[in-house]
Amino acid sequence: MLGRFTFSSVAAILLFILLTACGAGSGSSENGNTASQPSESAAAGQSQEQEQSGSKEVNIYTARHYEVDGKLYDEFTRATGIKVNVVEGKAEELIERMKREGESSPADLFITVDGGILNNAKTSGILQPIESDTVNSNVPAEYRDADNHWVGLSARARIIAYSKERVKPEQLSTYEDLATDKWKGKVLVRSSTSLYNQSLLASLIELNGEAQAEEWAKGIVANMARKPEGGDRDQAKAIVAGQGDVALMNTYYVGQLLNSKDAEEVKVGEQIGVFFPNQETTGTHVNISGVGLAKHSKNKDAAIKLIEYLTGAEAQAIFSSENFEFPVNPEAELPELLKSWGEFKKQQLDFSKLGEHNKKAVEILNKVGWD
Amino acid sequence: MNGWTISSLIVAAAILLPVFFILVSVAQGPGENWSHIKQYVLKDAVMQSAWLALLTGLFTTGLGVGLAWLTAAYDFPLSRLFRWTFALPLAIPPYIAAYTYSAMLGYTGVVQTTLRNTFGLQLSQGWFNIMSVQGAVFIFTMFLYPYVYLIARAFLESQTGAYVENARLLGRGPWSVFWLVVLPISRPAIAGGVILVCFEVLGDYGVVSYFGISTISTAIFKTWFGMYDIASASRLAAWLMIGVLGLFLLERQLRRQRRYSATSGKSRPLVRRRLRGAGGAAACMFGAVVMLVSFVIPVAQLVVWATWTADEVWHEGFYRIIGDTVAVAIVPTALTMVAAAIVAVSVRQFDGIFGYMLAKAVTAGYSIPGAIIAIGVLAVFIKLDGWLAPVYVALRLGTGEAPLVLSLSIVMLVAAYVVRFMATGYNALEAGFEKIGPQYAEASRLLGRGRTQTFLRVELPLLKGALLSGTVLTFVEIVKELPLALLLRPFNFQTLATKTYQYASDERIHEASVPALCIVVVSLASVYLLNRIERGMEV
Repeated sequence: MLGRFTFSSVAAILLFILLTACGAGSGSSENGNTASQPSESAAAGQSQEQEQSGSKEVNIYTARHYEVDGKLYDEFTRATGIKVNVVEGKAEELIERMKREGESSPADLFITVDGGILNNAKTSGILQPIESDTVNSNVPAEYRDADNHWVGLSARARIIAYSKERVKPEQLSTYEDLATDKWKGKVLVRSSTSLYNQSLLASLIELNGEAQAEEWAKGIVANMARKPEGGDRDQAKAIVAGQGDVALMNTYYVGQLLNSKDAEEVKVGEQIGVFFPNQETTGTHVNISGVGLAKHSKNKDAAIKLIEYLTGAEAQAIFSSENFEFPVNPEAELPELLKSWGEFKKQQLDFSKLGEHNKKAVEILNKVGWD
Repeated sequence: MNGWTISSLIVAAAILLPVFFILVSVAQGPGENWSHIKQYVLKDAVMQSAWLALLTGLFTTGLGVGLAWLTAAYDFPLSRLFRWTFALPLAIPPYIAAYTYSAMLGYTGVVQTTLRNTFGLQLSQGWFNIMSVQGAVFIFTMFLYPYVYLIARAFLESQTGAYVENARLLGRGPWSVFWLVVLPISRPAIAGGVILVCFEVLGDYGVVSYFGISTISTAIFKTWFGMYDIASASRLAAWLMIGVLGLFLLERQLRRQRRYSATSGKSRPLVRRRLRGAGGAAACMFGAVVMLVSFVIPVAQLVVWATWTADEVWHEGFYRIIGDTVAVAIVPTALTMVAAAIVAVSVRQFDGIFGYMLAKAVTAGYSIPGAIIAIGVLAVFIKLDGWLAPVYVALRLGTGEAPLVLSLSIVMLVAAYVVRFMATGYNALEAGFEKIGPQYAEASRLLGRGRTQTFLRVELPLLKGALLSGTVLTFVEIVKELPLALLLRPFNFQTLATKTYQYASDERIHEASVPALCIVVVSLASVYLLNRIERGMEV
C-alpha cells in the first residue's frame, strides 16, 4: 500500500510538471498571434514560414525601462505592422542570458543605458555590425561603435548641480576642482554602486591617467558632505536642504524634478542650477544609451528597421521631450528646457574606453572607500 | 530507503542543481580579482552584513514573538483585528518601504514640508536621515517581523497552554511567564522565522544599495556588474551560502539535546486572558503604533502618490499584469508546498546530521541574492533544452538545430520560484512538525499504519495550520519577488514587481506606487483568505 501511494504521488507530481512544460511548449507551436501565452510570441517570431516571408516581429532585451520606449515601440508597430516583443532586465544579466542562450537566443536587439556596457556586450561577442545607411546618416559617428556593433539612442550629461543660493556659477569649473580643499564637506554624491559614477571615473582614468583619477576619487571622498546615499534626485534635495552645496547629477533628473507632480519637487528643481563642467578643458562627461544588433538575430531586417525608426528625427524628439535626454540625431527638435541650458562642449571620448576602464574604476572606488 | 526518501532526494537534487552551479565557482579557485576583493571589499561587507542580520534578527524576534504572545495569550480592545493585521506588512516589499520612508522623511516629503510650510520649522536633516545602517534595520524589522510573528503565534496558540497555566498557577507574573516559559519553549519556531528574516536581509540588494550600505550583496553586484567578473561574484555568493549553512549548524548544536514538543498526548490550547483597564489600553496602543508604522502610514503615502500618477500609469494592461502575477504565483506555490512536505516527512526519518543537512540544503536558495540563483537556473535550463533538442525537433517545437523551448517559456521562472522559496514553505512545515512531535507518528506506526498512511491520516490534519501559513507566506513572497522575474521571464511578460521596478529604478517612486499598491492588494487578499480558512477550521 505504501509503495503504491508514494509512487502515484511522485508520478502525479512529475505529470504535473510535464503538463506545465507541455502547456507552454504546445502554445509555442501553435504560432498564435494573441499575447495571452507569453512564450508564443517569442517562438512564433522564429517560425520558418515567417522568416521566409520577411519577419513580422522583433525581440528586444532591454535595460531601459522608460514609458516613452514602450510608446515608440507601439508607434513603430502601427507604422510597419512589425510586432515588438520585450524583456526588460538589468544589462549585465541580459548579456549573461544572451551568452548562455548562444545561437538559439531569440534576442534581435540589445538595449542599455551605458556606453561602457554596450562595449562590454560587443566584447562578449553577442553583437554583429548594423549595416544601414539610414542609421549612419541619422547618428553622427561619435555616437556609434567603430565597427557599428551598436549605435546611440540618447545622451545624458553628468553635470554639477549647485545651490543657486549659496554658490555662484563662477566658483565652479571642473570635475577635478570638486576634489580640492575648496569644496571640503560640500560635495554630494551617490554610492559607488551607481554606474553613472563608475563611468565618470572611467572617463577620468582615460583622460588624466590612473594615478590622477585615484587622487580625484580620494579627494571627492574627503570632500563628501555626507556618506553617499540615495539616488540622483536625493542629491538635488540635499542641496536645497542645505546638507551640501554641489552634487554630481545627470541632467534629465533635473528635468524630471521640474516636471514632477509634487510641487515640492518642482521647487527643488527651481532652486538648483545646472553647470556643465570642464568647458575650458576636456568637456562635460556624456554617456549614452544605445542599441546593439544581436549576433544571432533571426529577424535582422525588422530589427534594423526598428533601429532606423528609433534614431530618426521624429522618434528622437519624442525621447528627448518625454525623458529630457539629449537626442543623438542632430536633426531632432530639442525641448525648451534643454535649449535653455544652452550648447556645451562634450568629452570627446570613445565610449568603448568607458567599458575598458570600468573595472579599474570600481577597483579605485573600493580602494578609496567610496561607499 | 523507502518511497519518501527517494522522492525527497529527487526533490533535493532538482533544487540543488542550480545551487551547484554556484558552488562550483568555489572549487574553481580564486580569479584575478579575488585578492582585490579580499583586500578592499570583504571585511567591510562581511561586518556590515553581519550587523544588519544580527540586529534585525534580534529586533524581529522581540517584536514578532512579543506580538505573537500578546495576541495569543490576551484579549484586549481590537485584539481580534490585530491578530490578522499584524501579518500585513509582509505585503510591502522592503525596498518599496525604504523608498517610501526615505521620501516621506526627505526634504520634499510630507513630514518636512508640513513642518516647513505650516509651522515654519526647518530642522537639521540629521533628524530625518533614515539612510543608514540603523535605518535599514528599522525597515527590515518593521517589514519582516511577520515571519517570526506568524510562525510563533501558530506555535504559541496550540502548544503552550499547559506550561503557561502551570507557570501561572505557580504564581508567575506575565513578564516572567513570557521570559522564562514562552521564549524558551518557542525557540524552534522562532529560529525558523528568524532564519527567514536573516536570509532576506543577507540577500537584499534594493534597500542596501539605495541607502549606500556596503554588504556582501552589494559586493556581489559590484563584482559582477562593475568588474564584469561573474565567477568572483558567484564565489562571493557561494561563501555567503556556506556561512549561512554554518550558522544553521551552530543553532542546531546549541539546541541538540533538547526536545521541544509536548510530552503528554494532549496539548491544551492557550486560554486567553482578558486585559482590562490600563493594561488593555497599553496593549491596544502598542498594536496600533506597530500597525501605523509598518502598514498604514506607508500604504497611505503610496495611495496619495497613486492619486497623482494613476492617470498616466494605470491602463488596461494592468489587469493582465495582475492576472499574470497571480497565475504565475499559484503554480509554484503549490509545487513548493508539495516538495516541502515530501522533504519534511523524509527528514524526520533520519535523526542524524544527514537529514538535517538535506533540509538545510534545499532551503539554501533563499540565502543567495536572487539574481545569482537566476543565473544558476538559466544555466540548468539551457543545458536541459540542449538534451531535449532531439525531442523538440521530433515534435516540431522551436526552430533550428538547438531550439530553446523550456528556457523561453514560463516553466523556467516557475522552477526558479520553487528553488528559491522552498525555504518559506519548508520552514513553516518544519515548525509544524516540531510542534506535533514524533509520538503521534510513532503510535500510528506501532498500530500498523504505513508511513504514507500515517502522514495522510495523522500528521496532515495536525499540520493544517502550518501548511496554510506556509502556503500564504510562499504565495506572497512570489507575488513580490523581483530578481528572478526580471531575468527569467519570457517576452512581454510582466509581473507587478517588475513593473514597480521599472519605475523605481528610474527614481520615479510616485509612478511606482501604482503597481506597488497592486502588490499590496493582492497580498492582502491572500492573507485575508488565510484568515477566513483558519477561522473556518476553528469552527
